[in-house]
Amino acid sequence: MAKKYYSFELKNDLSELEQLCQTCEEIGRDINISDKTIFEMNLALDELFTNIISYGFNDQQEHTIKINITIEGDQLQMRIEDDGVPFNPMESKTPDFQCGIEECKIGGLGIHLIRKMMDDVQYKRVSDKNILLLRRKIKKKD
Amino acid sequence: MEIIEEKQDTVSVFRLNGRLDSNTSQGFEEKVFGAILDGSKNMVIDFKDIDYISSAGLRVILKATKALHREKGQIMLCSMQDYVKEVFEIAGFDTFLPIVGSMDEALKSF
Repeated sequence: MAKKYYSFELKNDLSELEQLCQTCEEIGRDINISDKTIFEMNLALDELFTNIISYGFNDQQEHTIKINITIEGDQLQMRIEDDGVPFNPMESKTPDFQCGIEECKIGGLGIHLIRKMMDDVQYKRVSDKNILLLRRKIKKKD
Repeated sequence: MEIIEEKQDTVSVFRLNGRLDSNTSQGFEEKVFGAILDGSKNMVIDFKDIDYISSAGLRVILKATKALHREKGQIMLCSMQDYVKEVFEIAGFDTFLPIVGSMDEALKSF
């Protein structure tokens, strides 16, 4: 399959989650992947986006989060870029959920989901930008 | 997301429709904790028409589970789509949260 490339931007506002959902569905239809893969793509981007707008910005200004998605063969790559404070979400500890209800902590849950659903996650800081690269294999719909 | 709240005997039932994410989880949390404040100890959450959940939604479920646990109550989740259920499994929540196939099954457990 030829290489496909998509690019879009979200403002640092939770209401943009709706736009994220619609865009994921459009891309999913365009490249003919299963609903489950669309769901996982949406969830990974949602968790990172929500993280960025919760912790990334100390001012009250509008910021733009840039998302690029590349599909080549069976490889999906997602790149998320923001101009917030330096923050590598993948350094956060994986929560322990095998510990019973009362001890169960709720921090780091989103990052835990991303780690489990993606094959590879990399963070880098380049010229005042946080860049996260997510990779995973995708299956086409039959 | 639409939330329909009803009582079946002493059980508070929440039927959700739509997406349970950072945008909608707060409204859901308010309803659930409103019911707990009103004395509800047993709760069923119907996921039949939920086609998306993020960690924000999981957090509300976990908070509610803890609160009901302290009241010696119980929460049951039912009718999840496979990929929604998988999120609960990846998070490890299925080890302490009862997830059953249907509303009938959930109500029978009380």
